[in-house]
Amino acid sequence: MKAIVSVKDAVKNYTLGKVVVPALRGVTLDVNQGDFISIAGPSGSGKTTLLNLIGCVDTPTSGTVEVAGKNTSQLSERGLTDLRLHTIGFIFQSFNLVSVLTVFQNVELPLLLQKSIGAQERRTRVLALLEKVGLRDHAQHRPSELSGGQRQRVAIARALVTRPQLVLADEPTANLDSVTGQNILDLMRELNRTEGTTFIFSTHDQKVMSYANAVLKLEDGKFLGRESVQNGGAAPARTGAPA
Amino acid sequence: MSSLDTMRVSAQIAFRNLGAHRLKTFIVGGIIFFGAFLVVLGNSLVDSIDNSMSRSVIGSVAGNIQVYNATSKDKLAVMGGMTMGDPDLAQIDDFAKLRASLLKVPHVKSVVPMGISGALVTSGNTIDVALERLRGLENKMLERDHKSPEELQKLRAQIAAQKDHVRQIIVVLQGDMKNMKNIVEDAAVNKEDVEVIQKSASDAFWADFDKDPLNSLEYLENHLAPLAVDADLLFIRYVGTDLGSFSKSFDRMKIVDGTTVPPGKRGFLFSKFIYEDQLKLKAARRLDKIKEAKEMRGETIAKSEELTRFVRENTQQVREVLLQLDALKTATFRAKLQKELALPPDAKADLGVLLATFFATDDANFQQRYDFFYRELAPDLELYRVRIGDVLTIKAFTKSGYVQSVNVPVYGTFQFEGLEKSALAGGLNLMDLVSFRELYGFMSDEKLAEIKALRASAHTKEVSRENAEAELFGAGAEEPAPTPEPAAPVKSAKAPRHIVADATPGVNAEMPDISSPLAAKLRRDEAKSRVFPPDEVERGVVLNAAVLLDDPTQMKATMSAIENQGKADGLELKAISWQESAGLIGNFINLARGVLMVAIIIIFTVALVIINNALVMATLERVREIGTLRAIGAQKRFILSMLVVEAVVIGLLFGGLGAAAGAVLVKVIAAVGIPAKSDVQFFFFSGPRLRPDLNLIAVVAAFIIVIVVATISSFYPAWLAMRVTPRQAMQEEE
Repeated sequence: MKAIVSVKDAVKNYTLGKVVVPALRGVTLDVNQGDFISIAGPSGSGKTTLLNLIGCVDTPTSGTVEVAGKNTSQLSERGLTDLRLHTIGFIFQSFNLVSVLTVFQNVELPLLLQKSIGAQERRTRVLALLEKVGLRDHAQHRPSELSGGQRQRVAIARALVTRPQLVLADEPTANLDSVTGQNILDLMRELNRTEGTTFIFSTHDQKVMSYANAVLKLEDGKFLGRESVQNGGAAPARTGAPA
Repeated sequence: MSSLDTMRVSAQIAFRNLGAHRLKTFIVGGIIFFGAFLVVLGNSLVDSIDNSMSRSVIGSVAGNIQVYNATSKDKLAVMGGMTMGDPDLAQIDDFAKLRASLLKVPHVKSVVPMGISGALVTSGNTIDVALERLRGLENKMLERDHKSPEELQKLRAQIAAQKDHVRQIIVVLQGDMKNMKNIVEDAAVNKEDVEVIQKSASDAFWADFDKDPLNSLEYLENHLAPLAVDADLLFIRYVGTDLGSFSKSFDRMKIVDGTTVPPGKRGFLFSKFIYEDQLKLKAARRLDKIKEAKEMRGETIAKSEELTRFVRENTQQVREVLLQLDALKTATFRAKLQKELALPPDAKADLGVLLATFFATDDANFQQRYDFFYRELAPDLELYRVRIGDVLTIKAFTKSGYVQSVNVPVYGTFQFEGLEKSALAGGLNLMDLVSFRELYGFMSDEKLAEIKALRASAHTKEVSRENAEAELFGAGAEEPAPTPEPAAPVKSAKAPRHIVADATPGVNAEMPDISSPLAAKLRRDEAKSRVFPPDEVERGVVLNAAVLLDDPTQMKATMSAIENQGKADGLELKAISWQESAGLIGNFINLARGVLMVAIIIIFTVALVIINNALVMATLERVREIGTLRAIGAQKRFILSMLVVEAVVIGLLFGGLGAAAGAVLVKVIAAVGIPAKSDVQFFFFSGPRLRPDLNLIAVVAAFIIVIVVATISSFYPAWLAMRVTPRQAMQEEE
């Protein structure tokens, strides 16, 4: 299997005033294409920092992070942005939809930023994805008219619309109730299977971890190890209808 | 295509954001709206005023360019108006030469000779007017041999009525004298005055009157007339010019009453404004003013202090009317007024009191009284102190300080169309150039010949003014050379002073037999009949000349061309634009433009600050949104374009609305017109109403300004926005 993400000795220090705060203290790990991986650990363990490095929104203080074969430390600001645009999809804890745009426009936005896809193609893709996340009928709604679960599904559609190799989700269910959270994870899991998209999501919820086929454990900025999950990736008993 | 789509998205986000933050949008939009509105409206108004004012100024006296002697001490001001003194200008000796030179310059259409000065004119008091009329009748009587018996009889009746009027005036004066004795001590009353009135009022005087009417008139004119103190000393400003070419070149000039001055004749044309304002019977003038204020400005006597004052003055100053009435008219007026005021007929009632009661009008009865006055009373009154056809004696200080006096017949009144009500432009009267030159201290050919003859008869030697003392008292060995014979017109620009020093005070005054009634009559007639050869007007001295162009846009180029041509032809000329020659008035529009400009700059500076502030707030509120956009792959320039588009959209939307509103208002104003409420406004509007044209350049300017301001004001917030990192998308607010 080919590694889509390759992290070697990644160190990340943040400077708060004059104090240097180490967030990652040398992490080495690989993520393979098609993985459905959870990064787990308590608050402050460095989950988000690791996700930021992998997501090309940050570069390591030392060590290397390679995403889709590119060393992020060697990319310019614009290069990183382009890498994010074409290779990575983002799902945020608070959904982060553009409140003034409709559901359709929110999902279409990354395609517009790519600039290479025609209007017809954009429309087809957006509607197909909305169909897949069950929001075909809500295309013209504003985010404020949707429930939390619906919003996160819009965010998932937005993350997938560019057909990225890698989708990063930072605590995607933290702001959702457990039933809705499960539905979102089901959806991600399904897309992972059908589209072959690599998912990396952070969580500190045991239940959520159980969805992953592997859990990367972090503590105090150190990588503790990779645990394959029994019954890897199989959804636990589903309860309730999609939120 | 796809970058167009990106623009569309950023525009869409911008639009949506505007909708989502309505209050901010309205505040920012409102300021921009007002700014654009002001740019369009203000510029349209100022330009329209500029246009109409320039038409006024160019088309009335100034012309496109004024030319004068470059060696002059002061700057020429055609419409100075603000300062009393006239500028000290050096003369241009030969107008024909000047014109020939100017006409060589391209775009010069016509050249009008000018000289502007001011003089004191005694308007003539009521007694003067009455005596003047009596004199006219008596003069006719002197030619009785040529008259038929019917004519003679009519003439006698007229003379009798006129005498009656004069005696009525004397009665009024006697009344005044009696009142005065009541107020002041006897010592303060001039004994001679008392004697004059007693003598004039005596039956014996009037019994002898017909024995020598002209000498009796002379007595009354010299002794009685000065006692009636209602004579006004008017300061009038006049332009001496070639009236024919003046009226041809200045299309705004229109004769209102009478005729223009025939070519080659002396003559005076009153500005209709001055004629009404200064020479009209004051009571009538005040009634006119009240009517105008009520109709044009919607003022009321009750509320306006000024109108109340007019009414009060009318009630207090009835003497002016009383003096005009003979016994018969007094009775008629009494009867008419008693009827109008619904008082019982009483032949003994004091007409003064009746008139005062009549003039004490209020808003309710004003219109009726006004109509009554003009219908019933005015036909029996002399409404103007100077009538068309009268001879006006103008006394002016010559350049060197002598008092010079010239008699000119008044041919009529004129006005500059569009400036009828404006004191600023309507304050200039017109006079023939020859009379002007004499008043200014330049000799006419005729006068020079006359002086030469006098001098020859008296065997005097020519003495320049500067050397007069030396000549007279023989001091100093270095006796200056006597100046040459003055018969020829002065050629050198530096020469005028000694010629002026030779000036004798007026043709009339030096006539040796001044006391003879016949001479007085002759001098009156002479003024009217004398004809000047046209080339005297052409060849003589002028102070300045108005140049009219066939292409006004070539003004600047033509000005320097004129000065160069002048040098080539041996004339030191200074050419100034109409704005400069109009003095303060010409600069006013620049002031207005400056004020408007400052207002616009302030508004847009405020707009800049506020838009900037609003966008900074918006950016700070949207840090997460911007971070998200950056995270999902938006480049910095997308964020930049989003913010700039947002600012520009606000700018264009509200700027467009503001400009449109301004344009609509300009159109509405153009349809309705802004009424001129004062003389000054009348001048600037060049007529009773300002009808502005929409200035398309201002509309374009409004758009450009709005876009520039909006773009600049989004720079700082855009810079802030571009510093937002994608990481900030992930930070939780809590």
